[in-house]
Amino acid sequence: MTKKISVGIADMKIARQEGELITYALGSCIGVAFYDPMIKLGALLHIMLPEKNMSESNVYKFADSGIKETLRKLYAFGAMKGRLVIKIAGGAKMFEMKGAGGLGNIGERNAQNVKRVLAAEGLRVAKEDTGANYARTMSLDVSTGQVYIRSAGKKERML
Amino acid sequence: MAISRYEEMNDMKLDIFKEMGSIGGGNAATALSSMLNARVSMALPRAEILEFNDALARLGDPEIVIAGVLVELTGEIQGIMLFIIPEEFSDEVLFRMLGKTRTALLELDEIESSVLTEIGNIVISSYVTALSSLAGVEVELSVPQLAVNMLGGIMSLPMAMMGQQSDRIMMVTGEFNIDDKALNSGMLLLPDVESLNILMKKLGVD
Repeated sequence: MTKKISVGIADMKIARQEGELITYALGSCIGVAFYDPMIKLGALLHIMLPEKNMSESNVYKFADSGIKETLRKLYAFGAMKGRLVIKIAGGAKMFEMKGAGGLGNIGERNAQNVKRVLAAEGLRVAKEDTGANYARTMSLDVSTGQVYIRSAGKKERML
Repeated sequence: MAISRYEEMNDMKLDIFKEMGSIGGGNAATALSSMLNARVSMALPRAEILEFNDALARLGDPEIVIAGVLVELTGEIQGIMLFIIPEEFSDEVLFRMLGKTRTALLELDEIESSVLTEIGNIVISSYVTALSSLAGVEVELSVPQLAVNMLGGIMSLPMAMMGQQSDRIMMVTGEFNIDDKALNSGMLLLPDVESLNILMKKLGVD
């Protein structure tokens, strides 16, 4: 039995060698899995909004501040930029919205900004499963680096 | 005193929303009662301001499939309302309306979907009517939308909306009794902070 480590909303967890990092039911939010296969170091980040707009808030809520803080920690634990494998999932459109401050396409904006921030850090996304209109549970097995996605009414698949 | 974040709401201010939930819920129960041809009542609702992960935990397993009916509010109050229908609630309603026994939420057909949308619409409209008459504000409602999916995914929209201003969410939850059978449901009333201030001012609690 691998140990499950649950990652909440606007949260990030790091594990080394073993364990399964898992975040449940990503809707418009994005899960970003980081993995350095050489040292078997993994992180799973669950962001909710594209850009940081307030100072006192949780850094992991936003794509920009969340990715930067996760990378800072991973590098401190010995991860190397050139070895990092990054996979993302989520960014769905759960409802068709007209008003409400441009929230209709929040999932799409999250996905775009995650990729933009990663690119600015010199990193690219190896695999992604984003968009559509359903939620995804994402997990990262830290012993192997494998990422799994499951959705309601669909079979679990490897990303 | 005007607030700038949800965190600044105190118990007295929250009580106003509980009261509004209670009146709205009473109206909703009456409307549901005639639609379902059954005795419907509502237990005293709870109004809480919770951190995102706590709010989700309160509603249940994030991976459980639920139906959500969403309406956007515009006019003097801006925001959204979301009515959460768990499978047990849906089963009861579909049985009473269409004589169906057990339909998995993911397999709803068009008629079943429109019944659930209408139930959500009735409940939401009853709340909004209570709110607008109590506070004397004009509120317009969008066409209701139904989504069936994992609870966590459905909740990501209201959370993202509140997330722009806060790390918390305001939730009014209540339990309907249909012919003495207790059925949980969730009602999320999410005015933006500016609208919250307007409401509190109109209600005389600012």
